[in-house]
Amino acid sequence: MTSMTMNSLRSVLQSLPENAGEAIVVEHFSNPLLEALGFQPHEIYPQYPMGDRKAVDKAARKTIGNDIFLHSGSNPYLLLELKGRNCNWANNSAPYQSTVHQLKQYLLAPNCKSVQWGIITNSCHIQLFRKHGKVVFPATRCLPLNLEKVDEIVASIRKKIEKPAKALTVTIYNNKGGVGKTTTSVNLAGILTLLGKKVLVIDFDPNQQDLTTSLGLSLSDGKVLSALTNRDIELQNAICSYSFAIRNRNKDAEVKFDVIPADRKMANKADEILKDKIPKTGARILHRKLEFARQKYDYILIDSPPNWRFFSKLAVYAADVVLIPTKHNNLFSIENAATAIKTFIPEIQAEKADGTPVALPIFFNGERTTDPQLTVAQKEIQNIIKKAREEDRFDLLPYFFSKYTKAHPDCDIPKIPSYVNIASSAFSRVPAVYRDRTALEYYKDLVKEYFLI
Amino acid sequence: MSNPKDIGHLMHLYLDEIDPGKGTEAPEFLIKASAHLLNQKGGRNWVPIIVRETSEDCYELIGNSFIYAVAEEAGLERVWCVIADDSQETAEISQILAGETIPKINLSKASRDEIKAALEYLIEQPSSPIKSIQLATATNRIDEAPRQYWKTFDPITNLKCGITKGKKLDALKQIFYLEPQPLPDVITDISLLQAMTTTDLKAMAKKRGISGISKMKKDDLVAALSQSP
Repeated sequence: MTSMTMNSLRSVLQSLPENAGEAIVVEHFSNPLLEALGFQPHEIYPQYPMGDRKAVDKAARKTIGNDIFLHSGSNPYLLLELKGRNCNWANNSAPYQSTVHQLKQYLLAPNCKSVQWGIITNSCHIQLFRKHGKVVFPATRCLPLNLEKVDEIVASIRKKIEKPAKALTVTIYNNKGGVGKTTTSVNLAGILTLLGKKVLVIDFDPNQQDLTTSLGLSLSDGKVLSALTNRDIELQNAICSYSFAIRNRNKDAEVKFDVIPADRKMANKADEILKDKIPKTGARILHRKLEFARQKYDYILIDSPPNWRFFSKLAVYAADVVLIPTKHNNLFSIENAATAIKTFIPEIQAEKADGTPVALPIFFNGERTTDPQLTVAQKEIQNIIKKAREEDRFDLLPYFFSKYTKAHPDCDIPKIPSYVNIASSAFSRVPAVYRDRTALEYYKDLVKEYFLI
Repeated sequence: MSNPKDIGHLMHLYLDEIDPGKGTEAPEFLIKASAHLLNQKGGRNWVPIIVRETSEDCYELIGNSFIYAVAEEAGLERVWCVIADDSQETAEISQILAGETIPKINLSKASRDEIKAALEYLIEQPSSPIKSIQLATATNRIDEAPRQYWKTFDPITNLKCGITKGKKLDALKQIFYLEPQPLPDVITDISLLQAMTTTDLKAMAKKRGISGISKMKKDDLVAALSQSP
């Protein structure tokens, strides 16, 4: 049965006219593709309305009980946007980017809250995107489709959409130190837990160990190191639990999240020593060891060390998305964010070859800001963007000014304002969001901006 | 009534045949300086006035009243106008597109992003009455409140986000309107129950036939009512 479907998809591709337009691709390619992905005809809804007069080409969802998607149209699971073969997608072309943009807008439409996957294809290329909360990121690269590969590629996409990872893995990284990576990690863990999410936070900076210390936990004694260097030892062994009692309307409630503390045995080890124990392709080791956690947690947060050495590479490799805190009054932190986005992250993308990790737009962390200072920062950023465009042909704009369009050059960047209780919280061994109402509101705003629908 | 064949067309109308309606609040400087430049730079208003026809050769301005005022100041006999249809919707959208009125959003079902953008706009207005409120806090609290049932804006004053009755609350009415859903007969949602007054909760508990109401405090009432009947 499976081979029959495969054959038919291959023959469908074979029978498409060489320069099939969008209508032909929609008519002849989309349903065989969706069927090869496991959807029956009554589980596919054509021209699924998005409100505001727009519609995505196809939406799909498996039947749940008596709820047939074609009949109810409720709770779509996957969106498919198609283009014609004349729409050239090679080399990150403008038509490719505009299709990705279109899909992202559909995925984030108010009536698509239940959607977890988006696919774009013009029958020459195909790309799968994952939606986790508010975050949309690639789940494959933009893959060329040819007769030899089409079955294999579609089968691998089917495998992914049938078993989505529960967790979003977020690495908090900036190669500049002192921008508040640890404060961000701790408070994100705190607020996401408070909002009912299951969270694992990893202190992956063995030299500073700040996250572990700021939660009052003890360091790991070799458990992380041995999990990373021995194929039979699980990282699970290193997990501790952090809990905090919250007083709420006379009732006590306990909030709890899991932590992998920094490993004292990894401190001050030169990267090279570890590199010997971990094979050449070693950057993937943390990612692989976190396999168990991706079905268990809603969020895995990794507090990465600064610099761009072995540990930070492991941390960035393990990520779906990279969150980059910066300081508006620290030019280096902004320049380093640009370097991470245009050099380091693509380096890992090339190695990992599944489209991830991708950078989230930057945010300004915890400094008092005045309007003139912000203007200076915006000017600097505009220079950095211009330089990257000219020298590296890399478009940094969406990572710095995510709301910017030509008609409306909006240079707004999200910020966590300076707030004394956030900074001083480390001394009390409690995340600021649990001690202070205002800190809680700031971080809730941040997670709703970036992560939660 | 606008003649259907004129709708959408550009026409060069006599200024004195157009009723300017409520006029513009633009400062005198802008009007006079613009009028001076208009005369210097060819005397043609390339950005047209939006009008509708009320009777033969009688028009009413529905959008771009600033340009009307400038043309009048410049002493133009005729102005270029776009003829619009008579509907109220057209008048509203013309004024919004001309930037003359502030668009409002439906707070009953607006998304969090929409609420945040609206509040941010209001905070950044010069001499805004809500200048001192915390954007993050106000957005979070308003977004999480049971606003789909609000019949008035008053519950906002109970959210402890710095918006008090009077000028601050009135400012919000410039950007929000409400289209409330009817309250369901049986409410079990805890956050919704907590937002209600104890008197209302007692009345509901009585209706549901819950016993021992008189001794119950608010939290007890919420706990009892949140159990599905």
